[in-house]
Amino acid sequence: MTAALEAIGLRKRFGTLQAANDVTLSVHAGEIRGLIGPNGAGKTTLVNLVTGVYPPDSGEVKLAGQSIGGLAMHEIARRGLVRSFQVTRLFGNQTVRENLLTSFYARRPANVDGEAAAERMIRLTTLGPLADTQAKKLSGGQRALLQMGCGFMVPGSCYVLDEPFAGINPVIKETILEMIVAVNREQGAAFLVVSHEMAIIRQLCPQVTVMMEGRVAAQGTLDEVARLPAVVAGYLGKALE
Amino acid sequence: MFSTELVVQTFISGVMIGVLYALMALGITFIYSIMRMINWAMGEFYMIGSYLQYMLVAWLLGPDLWWLAILVSTAGVFVLGLLTEWSLLKPIFSKPPEVRGDYATVITLALLLMLRSLATGIAGPNQFTPGSNLPIVMVGPMPLAGARVAAFVFALVALGVFWAVLRYTWYGLALRATSQSRVGVQTAGIDVQRVDRMAFGIGVALAGLAGALLAPVFLVFPTNGLVTTVKGFEIVVIGGLGSIPGALIAGVALGLVESFGAAFVDSAYQNIYGFALVLLILVLRPNGLFGERGREA
Repeated sequence: MTAALEAIGLRKRFGTLQAANDVTLSVHAGEIRGLIGPNGAGKTTLVNLVTGVYPPDSGEVKLAGQSIGGLAMHEIARRGLVRSFQVTRLFGNQTVRENLLTSFYARRPANVDGEAAAERMIRLTTLGPLADTQAKKLSGGQRALLQMGCGFMVPGSCYVLDEPFAGINPVIKETILEMIVAVNREQGAAFLVVSHEMAIIRQLCPQVTVMMEGRVAAQGTLDEVARLPAVVAGYLGKALE
Repeated sequence: MFSTELVVQTFISGVMIGVLYALMALGITFIYSIMRMINWAMGEFYMIGSYLQYMLVAWLLGPDLWWLAILVSTAGVFVLGLLTEWSLLKPIFSKPPEVRGDYATVITLALLLMLRSLATGIAGPNQFTPGSNLPIVMVGPMPLAGARVAAFVFALVALGVFWAVLRYTWYGLALRATSQSRVGVQTAGIDVQRVDRMAFGIGVALAGLAGALLAPVFLVFPTNGLVTTVKGFEIVVIGGLGSIPGALIAGVALGLVESFGAAFVDSAYQNIYGFALVLLILVLRPNGLFGERGREA
């Protein structure tokens, strides 16, 4: 079975920091995989490498078996690899609806009505009353919801979410969680979810990958990796309950 | 002391020239808001627009087809803008952004000198005028030069089209989004380099259009873009860098200030009044009327 997303031997150095050191990781079709690890472990670097923000020094990235090395960010996005940012990148002066439509524009499939798709996404994100409000006036949680909605406007094959739950109130967290599960079920899309929220990771991700110091330190179920002494010492601090 | 008629006439001529200044300012602010760079060679694209207009009217199409010449001149400057972006700006814009602004400043200043010298070298330091056989237009009791009225109407239509494209088309949505977040649009699958190229083309085409429209009024010579560019920048400071409504309102405001200053104070200082307005705005609202302090990366 081909993996939805594959990173093979990725390396990236920033000055003296080896941010990614021979990272190999795959996310199978339909899988929701967690990516955890201490701050500075290279999780966001990995996300940036697979989504084309910068090229790896060496190694390869494959989307559904096809190499996407050397492609620009927008080309990768058009091929169905969609990402979200830790710090939301919305179009501040545009309304919620316009943000959704902009995300639809370049990737739009034939015969799909953008307005209708936006309307549906406004319902899914529960942002109905704010549909014509400028994005810059939204709260942090609402921005996170909108960013998810933008990503889901066009069905993708793989979603890479960088800290989608960081600093967000429990109600919106739950909504985002439900959106991820729904898209995963309906579209069979694969997810790689970066998060520090162990409770959510346990609920959402059957399998996790642990990164430490630029390397993949462990893979397995959350409870398996949480028992490894190196993971406890280098990241969790104490065993999970 | 002052006749109503004079006030009205001054007002009309102020608005008419202000709209043309606004075209120029809009080009500067539009390129800035998308590409985050100042195109210092804006006046040279204005100059090229005016030369194209002169050549087309004098040699090819004749004064009756002045409107066609305007369209062709504007299109010509647009294509030149695309080529400039592709050959001189894109190579550095595809690299990480640290020195982008500095590079763009150096390259567009170099372009300014080169294009001016080229114009002097080819056409000499002479002044040309494409001539206009448009009749005097009477607005109420006031006679207005046909070429000025035509320029005003053409500029209004261009501004309307520009606004409608930005407001109502998919591409306009992509352009507006790019001005908000260059990273965000790439995540949405939009090719930001293509957007850059279009934005540069459209921005300089606005300058080219102003040049072509004002050719019969302000004449055609190698440095004719200078004064209009300075006014363009004055407007951008007044209206706020990156603000499209700011460019329009400040353009008309500048036109009015100049026109009233010239009529009621002293016409010798016409180009000074705008600077006074700039200073006033800088004291009262340092970000300009509609400028934003910052934006998301």
